[in-house]
Amino acid sequence: MTDSQPSPSFLARHEFLIRRLHSLSGLIPVGAYMVVHLLTNASVLAGAATFQANVDRIHSLGPILPLVEWTFIFIPILFHAILGVAFIWGAVPNTSDYPYSSNIRYMLQRATGMIAFAFIAFHIWHLHKYGEPFGGGAFDPHHATSTAGTAIQSALWIQLAYAVGVLACVYHLANGIWTMGITWGVWTSSEAQRKASYACGGFGVLLAVVGLAALSGFRMVDVEEAAAVEDRLETHRKIAEGEVAWGEEESTEEGSETSGDSPDVSSP
Amino acid sequence: MISPAKQSIPDVFDVRILRQDGPGEKSYWERHRVTHQPDMNVISVLQQIAARAETEEGKKVSPVAWDCNCLEEVCGACTMLVNGRTRQACSALVDNLLQEQPDGIELRPMSKFPVVRDLVVQRDRLFRALKKVKAWVSVDGYFDRGPGPQQSPADQQTAYPLSQCMSCGCCLEACPQYTKIEVTRREGESEADFKKREAAAFDRGFIGAHAISQAILFNIHPTGKMNAGERLDALTSEGGLQICGNAQNCVAVCPKSIPLTTSIARAGRATTLHSLKKFFDR
Ligand code: SF4
Ligand code: SF4
Ligand code: FES
Repeated sequence: MTDSQPSPSFLARHEFLIRRLHSLSGLIPVGAYMVVHLLTNASVLAGAATFQANVDRIHSLGPILPLVEWTFIFIPILFHAILGVAFIWGAVPNTSDYPYSSNIRYMLQRATGMIAFAFIAFHIWHLHKYGEPFGGGAFDPHHATSTAGTAIQSALWIQLAYAVGVLACVYHLANGIWTMGITWGVWTSSEAQRKASYACGGFGVLLAVVGLAALSGFRMVDVEEAAAVEDRLETHRKIAEGEVAWGEEESTEEGSETSGDSPDVSSP
Repeated sequence: MISPAKQSIPDVFDVRILRQDGPGEKSYWERHRVTHQPDMNVISVLQQIAARAETEEGKKVSPVAWDCNCLEEVCGACTMLVNGRTRQACSALVDNLLQEQPDGIELRPMSKFPVVRDLVVQRDRLFRALKKVKAWVSVDGYFDRGPGPQQSPADQQTAYPLSQCMSCGCCLEACPQYTKIEVTRREGESEADFKKREAAAFDRGFIGAHAISQAILFNIHPTGKMNAGERLDALTSEGGLQICGNAQNCVAVCPKSIPLTTSIARAGRATTLHSLKKFFDR
């Protein structure tokens, strides 16, 4: 044998499994997380106290939060995104020669994937505490509404970037669920695939509404009022946790005591 | 013949052909003038061009080369890009083409297969993919085993459309996930070694919608079913079903209207179950 074939690489031998895991990771956990994330964000429309309560619930995980974040969010997103970009290299888009709607959706799925990857990187820099050393990290979980509101309201281009980014993510998830149904063999006949495309389209529209509602919620937030609510909640939390004693609550941000119209804050 | 817009068809028209003198050589465009005759198809256009062997500018050239066989859209040999779209030259009627695009006809070889010469391509990869999925019913011996199992009418209904595939390659040409693989012979390499290396390269590439659909066809067949697992193994090996990106161009261009995306989804379901079964049966 002069031309003994090199034995296939690990990636080649497990190509099927890797592609299927890539497909699955888009829905679980990444897609599922995104739905929860957008719904939580939209709760800002119910007021600063509600949103703060939701954020507190997440942050009550305390020291294990980073572990949860890495296992269920960051690593799956990186896995899905890096493989996705690698897969895009192995294709030749041809929408100009074959402008069929499904071919355009195929192309959009790849384009929105790239946009989503860039947007998520930007979003983590912009709001997550990991962005702090690089001039980002504007979000403070104890002042959820006011810091997120300030960050979103700081520039029009930021609002546009979020709108484009959120819509790209939503499209990518909704169309991704549709193709996933074919990949895994859930909807097989063309009739079933057509119906599924309506269902996925409807889901996408709903999720886009939720995402954009959350964004406009942060755009409309009255930052000072929200900060007042948060300061009050913060004080209550500290008293409850015994960090400060009665009557000793920090009096630095006094404005909060006088605005007094915050909902949902009962006296201790 | 009743031709709806006869008056608009010119007496002569231009044909642009993307030619190539041999494998791996540079391609070049050539323009030919063709005299219109009634009921022409692209094959009769090519016959006229080859017979004249002279470009529009009056330059003598070698006759253009192309493949064809059945002339009734059942063999798939004459597949090429007519006005940029993959289809059979024999069923591409000139009057229709000129109505859609009055300034002439453009012919190119398929872009996903190595060019042999001019419009002739080498489609070995397409046939290797059919071998990979064992797109046949195995001969189980040379003695009479009596009648085989029966196929239900419902399965017959599903199988018949899939059986119409003519291995033309349109579905592969239009697929964004099916990329060209061309292996060139090395200095001093024997023909046999070269073919072996080429086959291995083809086997690593995407098998394509036609082979996925044929795997489903033979997995429906009552006797073919006996090798169902082997076909599913082939579909999940390197370059298998998983490469499909659901662009669904294959089904849109298939001249036989084969429900390829249904076959792909059925293969998706079968391979999902097959891999789970294999995983737990280990
Ligand atoms: S559905 Fe799959 S096989 Fe068909 S054209 Fe799209 S990517 Fe190619
Ligand atoms: S499936 Fe259709 S397009 Fe593909 S090779 Fe067969 S007949 Fe041609
Ligand atoms: S010659 Fe057979 S399909 Fe055209």
